[in-house]
Amino acid sequence: MTHDEAVVTALCKKFPFLSERISVQREKRIFTKPLTPEEFQQIIPYVHRELNFYRACHVVGTDDGDTLGLLYILTDKNNTLLILRESVPKSNPVVKSISSIYPSILLHERELADLFGVVVEGLPEGPRYPLPDGWPEGNYPMRKEWNPKYFDKNTMTYNDPNVKEVK
Amino acid sequence: MHSDNRITIPIGPQHPSLDEPGRFDITLEGEKVVNAVIGVGYNHRGLEKTCESKTYVQNLYIIERVCGICSHAHGTAFCMAIEQLAGVTIPKRAEYIRAVVAELERLHSHLLWLGVACHEIGFDTMFMYTWRNREKVLDILADLGGNRVNYGVNTIGGVRRDIDADMVETIRKALDALEEETKHYVEIAYTETTLISRLKGVGVLSHEDAIRYGAVGPVARAAGIAHDVRVDEPYGAYKEIPVKVITDTHADVYGRTVVRILEMQESINIIRFCLDNLPDGPLSVRVPRRIPAGETIIRVEAPRGENIHYLRSNGSDIPDRVRVRAPTEANWHGMKHMLEGGYLADVPITIAAIDPCYSCTDRAIVVKSGAKTDCYDWRGLRQYGIDWYKKRGIDVTALKV
Amino acid sequence: MISFLKMLLAAFIFPGFLFLSVYSLVLDFIDRKLYARMQNRVGPPWYQPVADFFKLIGKKTLIPVEANKMMFRIMPLVSLAAVAAAFLYVPVLGQDAVFSFDGDLIIVLYFLTVPPIAAFLAGWYSRGVYATIGATRILTQLFVYEVPLFISLLAPTLIAGTWSISELTAFYAAHPLYALINLPAAFAALISFQCKLERAPFDTPEAETEIVSGALVEYGGRLLAFFKMAHSCELVLVISLFSAVFLPFMTGYVFADFLLYIVKTLVILLLLTLMRVSMARLKINNVVSFCWKVLAPVALFQVVLNLVIRGSLQI
Repeated sequence: MTHDEAVVTALCKKFPFLSERISVQREKRIFTKPLTPEEFQQIIPYVHRELNFYRACHVVGTDDGDTLGLLYILTDKNNTLLILRESVPKSNPVVKSISSIYPSILLHERELADLFGVVVEGLPEGPRYPLPDGWPEGNYPMRKEWNPKYFDKNTMTYNDPNVKEVK
Repeated sequence: MHSDNRITIPIGPQHPSLDEPGRFDITLEGEKVVNAVIGVGYNHRGLEKTCESKTYVQNLYIIERVCGICSHAHGTAFCMAIEQLAGVTIPKRAEYIRAVVAELERLHSHLLWLGVACHEIGFDTMFMYTWRNREKVLDILADLGGNRVNYGVNTIGGVRRDIDADMVETIRKALDALEEETKHYVEIAYTETTLISRLKGVGVLSHEDAIRYGAVGPVARAAGIAHDVRVDEPYGAYKEIPVKVITDTHADVYGRTVVRILEMQESINIIRFCLDNLPDGPLSVRVPRRIPAGETIIRVEAPRGENIHYLRSNGSDIPDRVRVRAPTEANWHGMKHMLEGGYLADVPITIAAIDPCYSCTDRAIVVKSGAKTDCYDWRGLRQYGIDWYKKRGIDVTALKV
Repeated sequence: MISFLKMLLAAFIFPGFLFLSVYSLVLDFIDRKLYARMQNRVGPPWYQPVADFFKLIGKKTLIPVEANKMMFRIMPLVSLAAVAAAFLYVPVLGQDAVFSFDGDLIIVLYFLTVPPIAAFLAGWYSRGVYATIGATRILTQLFVYEVPLFISLLAPTLIAGTWSISELTAFYAAHPLYALINLPAAFAALISFQCKLERAPFDTPEAETEIVSGALVEYGGRLLAFFKMAHSCELVLVISLFSAVFLPFMTGYVFADFLLYIVKTLVILLLLTLMRVSMARLKINNVVSFCWKVLAPVALFQVVLNLVIRGSLQI
């Protein structure tokens, strides 16, 4: 059994809800199907402590229509990448920060908050990243419906003629 | 600004020791740093958003411009991601040429870093010497790709430029000269006392902390973590090339310097190996314009460390999501830890020691020029180019793509 | 009347202020050219220091709102005046300085302290963060190199038995072999002078990459031009002083002695430039420990040595 399969088996054994929802895409790449924030929070401490995925490389935010996908890329000493996919509704995107477990994810979580409008609970104080200080509220550039064409850089306002009143 | 003997000084956004804007609010007690707040994001250019509205081929040129120094590493990662999704295998020769360019890039990046680091500690002589040597590498790269930085060697499905016999000779000659110089740098790094006294024990990120903060590249390797994507997860020609991972146990700026200097020697060996074993064959294969739906994560070892690209396609000729994780982005997290407890004099070199690339970190909002007449936006520049050629009798708009 | 005119001529034209200014431009150019050639660069053309000076003169002078205007304006002139005054006591043409009396060495040493103090005050009254840190560093550095510098310059007087620079030079010119005894002090003095001139590896107070350019960060235009001029005049002054105290070899012919003076200053400049080229900038704590642990003991050793020699030779 390869290391990748061992990781998958261990995860499925511990978390039965993962079976059928986790697969080895190719060598050293383990992807999961979308998980709810609750499921994700259960898995993270186990993956960190028991499976020794010591480093969080990255979080990729994706816009999947009505939901936002967050791909947490974790890696272990064997350089296997475990990609845990968390899915939250676009209308209420609330996740818990995992920066207390993985300090190296802080900048990426700030970026999610700025670019995707994900509310990351438990994010430590600090300067925002990467948007400038005067950036208007409620504008999340990486969401698909946000079009740079309608953004006026000089007045820092977003005027989408197709949408009448956004609240 | 002043409160109970503490002074907060801003380093940046504009400061002589920073090559690009970033802001470090350093709180000092005397000369000692007691607190550091790191603010990056001044170079956010909206590249990832732009990528979602352009085709894969156009995106290749955008991705190459994520970073001026490691443009090839980003380009390679992006091409590999597309090739993976499209299910094509590129020719051996193309893989080897990619490796040669990647190692030349590493040489030029490390020489650049060595110069900048020496400038930060006020050793301008070494700065001048390393940058003179860097010109040799840049000349090769210019010969090879036509440009000094964004070489544009990569294309989807292979490479665009070949290395012919003459080129091999030129590279070999330049490498011989560079090898001599590198020996000299090794000697300086091991003997020059003022240099060592400025670098040793500065910006320490111990083995445990490097793991905790997820350091990559030379920063991790200087802390004794043998982490190098070329060996851990070989890609392209690196499956066949023997790569020695350089590590050091100093875990400070001195260790990072030694690692980079020794890596330069290793790069020279790799390029020689590639030139000796350059296979024959075509340079590229055809890749369809529409890429099948799917997602992939590619890791490439850039000069500064591990470079991660995420690509998701939806079956059209435009990607659904492109995400670039540059090595610097991973190394920022340990910065606060490295700065605190040090001296003000060590701040610039500590920041420089991770070889920060602010543009890489920030990537992505289209900043158009204001109403100034001497600035062009993209459309204006394009029109200017078309008119320029029209005046000289070439009508670009008549060409059918 | 004639003697008064002669004195004015000496004080303002040669070898006084005008010579000092011109020679400072020459040495500045040679320093930069040497520095560039050693770094494998082409270096500036010969008129670069002059061009820099006049360009700065023509620039607008900005004074920060928070700065003390009077102190801000006056400090460059104080610095320049102190250097120009001190230069009159240092022999250039032959063995005799323009003015001399027993104890002028002490006066010159005090005048030499003025430029760093002026730079400190300039930085302090600019009220900028970088300027304040730079000013503090200037003062810290002043306290640590001043001690070895004073001791190593006063040590040769123990053998010569005079505190006048001109008489000191005359004594050693008459007994050239005695000058060799002072080599340890010469070593300490040379490095202290490098420290005083704030040149690499002791350019901590103006460390460009850390505190932008230290105390003078708010300066520009005419005021900066005078600070720069004072600084290069200071270079001429310390080199002349060094050659007068530690290289007092004379031929006895005025013209030949002047040529010898040029050669001596160029050699010392070469040494200072070599030091500047081959080392990285020290941290302020390293400067402090280096001056106290290396330079001060060397200078003190010289004092003890000279006392012993004086006693045994019964000079």
